[in-house]
Amino acid sequence: MIVAESLSKSFGAKHAVSDVSFTVRPGKVTGFLGPNGAGKSTTMRMIVGLDRPTAGRVTVNGQRYAQASSPLTEVGVLLDAKAVHTGRTARNHLRAMAATHGIPTSRVDDVIDITGLASVARKRAGGFSLGMGQRLGIAAALLGDPHTLILDEPVNGLDPEGVLWVRRFVRHAASEGKTVLLSSHLMSEMALTADHIIVLGRGRVLADAPVDELVRQWTRTVVRVRSPRAHELADLIAPEAVSVTHLADGLMDVEGPLAPAIGDLAAAHGIPIHELTPTSGTLEDAYLSLTGDDVEYKTKDI
Amino acid sequence: MTTLTAPPTASTSVSTSTLRLTFPHLVRSEWIKLTTLRSTWWSLGIAVLLSVGISMMVASASADFAPGFASVGAILMPTQFTMLVAGILGAIAVTGEYSTGMIRSTVTAAPRRGAVLAAKAVVVAVLIAVTTLVSYVIAILATAPILTVAIDWSDAALSTLPLALGVLSMVCFALIGVGFGFLIRNGAGAIAATVGLLFVLPIVASMFMMAGEAWRWIVDASAYLPMNAAATITTPGGTDLLPAALALVGWAAALLLGGWAVLKTRDA
Repeated sequence: MIVAESLSKSFGAKHAVSDVSFTVRPGKVTGFLGPNGAGKSTTMRMIVGLDRPTAGRVTVNGQRYAQASSPLTEVGVLLDAKAVHTGRTARNHLRAMAATHGIPTSRVDDVIDITGLASVARKRAGGFSLGMGQRLGIAAALLGDPHTLILDEPVNGLDPEGVLWVRRFVRHAASEGKTVLLSSHLMSEMALTADHIIVLGRGRVLADAPVDELVRQWTRTVVRVRSPRAHELADLIAPEAVSVTHLADGLMDVEGPLAPAIGDLAAAHGIPIHELTPTSGTLEDAYLSLTGDDVEYKTKDI
Repeated sequence: MTTLTAPPTASTSVSTSTLRLTFPHLVRSEWIKLTTLRSTWWSLGIAVLLSVGISMMVASASADFAPGFASVGAILMPTQFTMLVAGILGAIAVTGEYSTGMIRSTVTAAPRRGAVLAAKAVVVAVLIAVTTLVSYVIAILATAPILTVAIDWSDAALSTLPLALGVLSMVCFALIGVGFGFLIRNGAGAIAATVGLLFVLPIVASMFMMAGEAWRWIVDASAYLPMNAAATITTPGGTDLLPAALALVGWAAALLLGGWAVLKTRDA
């Protein structure tokens, strides 16, 4: 469980994070979603004490991260793939990290196997590709088999197989009751991985809700209707509809009544229907409408 | 290419209940970190080669030195060069972590940062002390056949005491580098500051020797610069060692304290 209360961080005059409060619960994958510069990384850095909050506080399982008697078994952190000395081999990096907590070398070899680093474990990390660096960062996060995982852009630079592995891995961790917080600006990945989403924009929480609720609240469900007598049908729908948009001759988007209602109405009046397609919004639509220019970082209570 | 083939589970064999972040564990971690970098071994190798090489050169010229030259001086004379290697090793042991981002991994694993600095200082000190001892032993054995007058082992003031203080001096030089590393964080900056304090300032101060009484205080004060203080305490048969020894240790302590303050307060 991660609890942030009125967390703020300023770098000089720039407010990176402003009055952010949220709770990340165990047994779920919580996604930090936001454009670059939204404050995702800064917030994660404050959780593990790398950055000192200007105001507010954040606790992991009820205590500040620095107070933990064994931080690596409390929290596994992947902050950025480059938090590794380039002159040291992957295995030696993990050995040094493990040694801080007396974690045995056998566990080092375990996480090397788990993350598929065996063939490069004795090579120096400076020569690693982005994806290999990412695997090394994940391996380090797993060393203490922690209750809480904080992963900043974990799929960044991974190949499709690696992306799938990370997704299965965090789902599995959550199913074991672990707390998982991961950030991404990839909505498609979030939609597949996360149960709960916290959207950040310009250092503020724009939304904090389960994925499906977020999609429902922030996207429109539209039914695309194609009919040779579209205008006639539009007039019949009008009293029920939020909006009817004519796209082309005989093609329109109807917002409001759902597909069955439109179909029934057309049948009752003998109007032929050539296409009737409900399109519900995606997380991407929700994200764009939350962070897009038209809403200009407006917050909304959900 | 390598694949992530293992089943998606992290809970294999580790029992997390007994794992603790402790100072001995941190020292072990810092030891692994320092000894798994090639730069460390390059620095130490150069220090030993310089030390032994210069000692042998001095020893071969020892017949022509003024009478009263204590032979142990041949072993200690290279210190004014190897001190730079020690200082630079200390500095890059820290700044290498900042330039690569490793420091974020380090202070995430050990969020009580003061302990990180202490562990690093201990490891650097031990490694430099052992290396210096090894280079002294090699130098003593290598110069023995060359020296016209053998080292007088019966008099500690002319043998073991200067050598022990030589080890202390090298440790202090390395810790001054560590302190500058944490203070400045940048490799080039920390090395420049270390070399400046150890090597350049004594030369600058010595220029004032010809400047007359009004500038005398600069020359007097320069006796407490690290290099000059080290020269005082490693002089065979020297007297009044305590002020110089305290000054040398004080430099290292003050810079480590400054580095500690920066490490505590600034974001990593």
